[in-house]
Amino acid sequence: MEFETGRTPAIQITPRQRWSIAITYFLLVAGFALGVNQRESTLNLASDYSNLEAGISAKYPARWLLEETGSFIFRVRDMAHRGFNTVIEVSAAPVGRDTSERNIFDLLTLRRSQVLTDYAVLGYDNYLLADDTLAVSMSYSFVARDSSPFLEGVSSIVNGLDILTIRRGQALVVSFRADADIYQRELETLRWFIQHLEF
Amino acid sequence: MLKRCFSAVLLLFLLSVKAWTQSAISLDIDRIKRATVFIYQAESVNNDLVIKCVSSGTLVSADGLIISNAHSVLPSRLCAGDQLIVALNVDLSEPPIPKYRAEVFSADEGLDIAILRITRELDGRLIARSELPILPFAEISSSDDVSLDDTLIVAGFPDFGNEAVATTRGTVTAVISEPVGPRPSWFKTRAEIPGAMSGGGAYSSEGLLIGIPTSAPLVGLAAAASCRYFADTNRDGLVNASDSCVPIGDFVSTVRPISHARSLIRGVRNGLTVNLVSGPAEPPLPLNPPRVSRLFFAPSVSDGAPSTVVGSMPNNTNSLFFFFDYRNMTPETVYELRVSRDGIPDATFSLPPVRWSGRENGLWYIGSREQAWANGAYEFTLLINGTSVGSQRIIVGGSAVNRSQFSDIVFGTLDQSGALVGNGSILPLGEIASARFLYANMTLDSPWSAIWYFGGVEVARSADRWSDESHGAKVIRVAPTGGLLPGRYRLELYIDGALSATSDFIVSGRAAGPLPEIFSRLRYVTAESPSAARRATALSSFPTSIPALYALFDWHLIAAGTPWTLRWLVDDQVFFETTNPWQTVESGSDYTVSLANPADGSYKLQLLVNNLKLIEQEVIVGIGQLPIDRLARFEGAILSGKVIDAATGRGIPSITIVLIGADYTASEFDWREDQVYDLATSDRNGDFQFPRPLAFDTFYSVVIEADGFIPHAADEFYFSADQPYANIEIAMVHG
Repeated sequence: MEFETGRTPAIQITPRQRWSIAITYFLLVAGFALGVNQRESTLNLASDYSNLEAGISAKYPARWLLEETGSFIFRVRDMAHRGFNTVIEVSAAPVGRDTSERNIFDLLTLRRSQVLTDYAVLGYDNYLLADDTLAVSMSYSFVARDSSPFLEGVSSIVNGLDILTIRRGQALVVSFRADADIYQRELETLRWFIQHLEF
Repeated sequence: MLKRCFSAVLLLFLLSVKAWTQSAISLDIDRIKRATVFIYQAESVNNDLVIKCVSSGTLVSADGLIISNAHSVLPSRLCAGDQLIVALNVDLSEPPIPKYRAEVFSADEGLDIAILRITRELDGRLIARSELPILPFAEISSSDDVSLDDTLIVAGFPDFGNEAVATTRGTVTAVISEPVGPRPSWFKTRAEIPGAMSGGGAYSSEGLLIGIPTSAPLVGLAAAASCRYFADTNRDGLVNASDSCVPIGDFVSTVRPISHARSLIRGVRNGLTVNLVSGPAEPPLPLNPPRVSRLFFAPSVSDGAPSTVVGSMPNNTNSLFFFFDYRNMTPETVYELRVSRDGIPDATFSLPPVRWSGRENGLWYIGSREQAWANGAYEFTLLINGTSVGSQRIIVGGSAVNRSQFSDIVFGTLDQSGALVGNGSILPLGEIASARFLYANMTLDSPWSAIWYFGGVEVARSADRWSDESHGAKVIRVAPTGGLLPGRYRLELYIDGALSATSDFIVSGRAAGPLPEIFSRLRYVTAESPSAARRATALSSFPTSIPALYALFDWHLIAAGTPWTLRWLVDDQVFFETTNPWQTVESGSDYTVSLANPADGSYKLQLLVNNLKLIEQEVIVGIGQLPIDRLARFEGAILSGKVIDAATGRGIPSITIVLIGADYTASEFDWREDQVYDLATSDRNGDFQFPRPLAFDTFYSVVIEADGFIPHAADEFYFSADQPYANIEIAMVHG
């Protein structure tokens, strides 16, 4: 039995077709790049905050809830996160001539231990601010639970970081809290926030 | 930008609203139940909590104010606990679940009312008022308009926390008056109310709180008292009579009208704490056992005194008061009135065991007006701490008899024309006291007498034969040796040896017109301390946020033991009132009363004796008006629901739902707090509930953004007044 071997005749494409294919690939890549770019830019959108009275301006992630009434200058919360909503809170307090950063941290600890479940200080460290000045930080953890007494709320372990600097007779505290599961990832957001914080 | 973002996902919002309409009554019942709490009073023993007393209670504000009975929450011999645990109705068909701890912020032991505030989580952590979720609460109504045969709905827990909250319906079968606080003193009902429901709420048919079902347990006072053993408190492995028991009252048939609690609630709600700086720390308790005497009846009461004394009443009697003198009573004394008609117990006019709300000594009455008394032979038996201490009989029925009688005694002094002047019950120091009384059906030559007492001791007596007309008014007088001294006086008038009329009056202060000058120089200052207050300059207005407001006044010729009343008002509403026997020297200056951290408002201090206002002075703090409480009324729709996964149908936990206020749509929402009406987070089953009620006839929007799901937004949530509850289901689509 003999077999006849042969070749499929080569498909001849015209230059016009070649250009079409090239343009199609280009458009696909460009479209994908544009999509990625749009997505990134949407996710990284920032909102501006300024408070002339407190002398503070900042950028914070878009679509985080901005709150200005409370025992703080302002705070922003990521309401999209399921579980404990990541929060960045900026507050100020007057300090005396003899007040040290540690005094303020201790006061915060005393106050929080009264109201937060299993509040525990994890450690103290230095923190480099955007203007290269050195601040101090305190890390801590606690357990958060939805406060409604009528629902079966889900508890979350929360890690927190306070960044404290004393300037012009007042202590500025940036408090950052996030679900322990995403804390490390969310620290990037805190760093970005600190970079854009002016006071 | 937001508009574009939301417009892209608006169509994906899968929302089904299952709003249902309920009748007004069933709505009230649901809200009533949600506002009802169960309270454990417990003692800390070796890191353990031993339950000492239990009671029901009612949330009366969104920020955790609770009203309940004082006898079951205040530390006492019977209820020796030091912790108050509050259990809420998470599921209305289930027993309550302990959620918080509370503290007593204000109480009146005698009225048996306590105002608690939730201050801590169950584990002991503090909760700031601002951090407490908005809690369901009962709206307080006026109890002044409640009348016979009105519907009462009583809510509470019928057992020791083993059963779900229950409601019982009944009607007001009697309205009882006593000489304390606003009228009336009690509502009676025949609704079957278990003893554990004492302290709960009694509601009108509109679902408004009008009273507190109240009964006092007699444990330790009477042998037949109820007490439950349900825990091994002595750790001997057995639950028996060796363990400490939890006392419980018998079935409740009395409701304390809410008007008696209004001032306490108002004071706590506004954080107003009054301190009688110059007053005694704690008045000493009487050493002798309680006693009653001089039991008699009167057809009516005028200024706390009987109009006349009667031994029988005619047909169609609709007003009758039972009077007696009392001594050595304390707020822990439990008294009871048992009334029988023709030998058969009459529940309508009986008063079950309740706490004593009067002073240590004085004249008391229990009675009712505008209520039909059936004909018969009534016997009134008074019990103190479970023991009978006296009884008196009266016949009701038959035609009216024109018997001789004296009535309506008023006291004063005679002016130059011989007319009686004064206020009727308080006289200044002087030489002579005069009394005018009415007489009727008197016959010539019938013997009559008048006996005057001072401090319980007879000081004058006159006996004569009647020589005036049969009807008219007569003035008699007394001039004790040494003049009228400060103190309490009494006049008793007898006809033919039988008491016909009696009344008391007080001699105090200096003569100064119709009212004697007992108090003077009432003024206000602010200072760091009471001693500094006495040196400070008096002002009529003060700035916001003063640490303390001090009221100072001078007093003149008040005998020890004279009852006087101090009343504080803010914005013309009473928030503090206390009546005590005078316990300092007869005359002096700078009696000091402090009000800590007064909020902005228009304050007024009033000083009274025998319910007569003798002096008052107003002072302004800040803007002169209390801050408006936006959550003072519970009005609107409750929005709850479930967030589910559209693919699986299962509930999604930890999703935050943003409810946007009426001024913005979802597309206009740019994540600012001032645009948010309320927030809710789904629980482990995906269930959520907005704590804050939604105003009726107002449009709201809902926005949800959650990692892993396509954002949702919906506008035009709208609830009319006939849709008090709405339950929505939100299906989330992965994206």
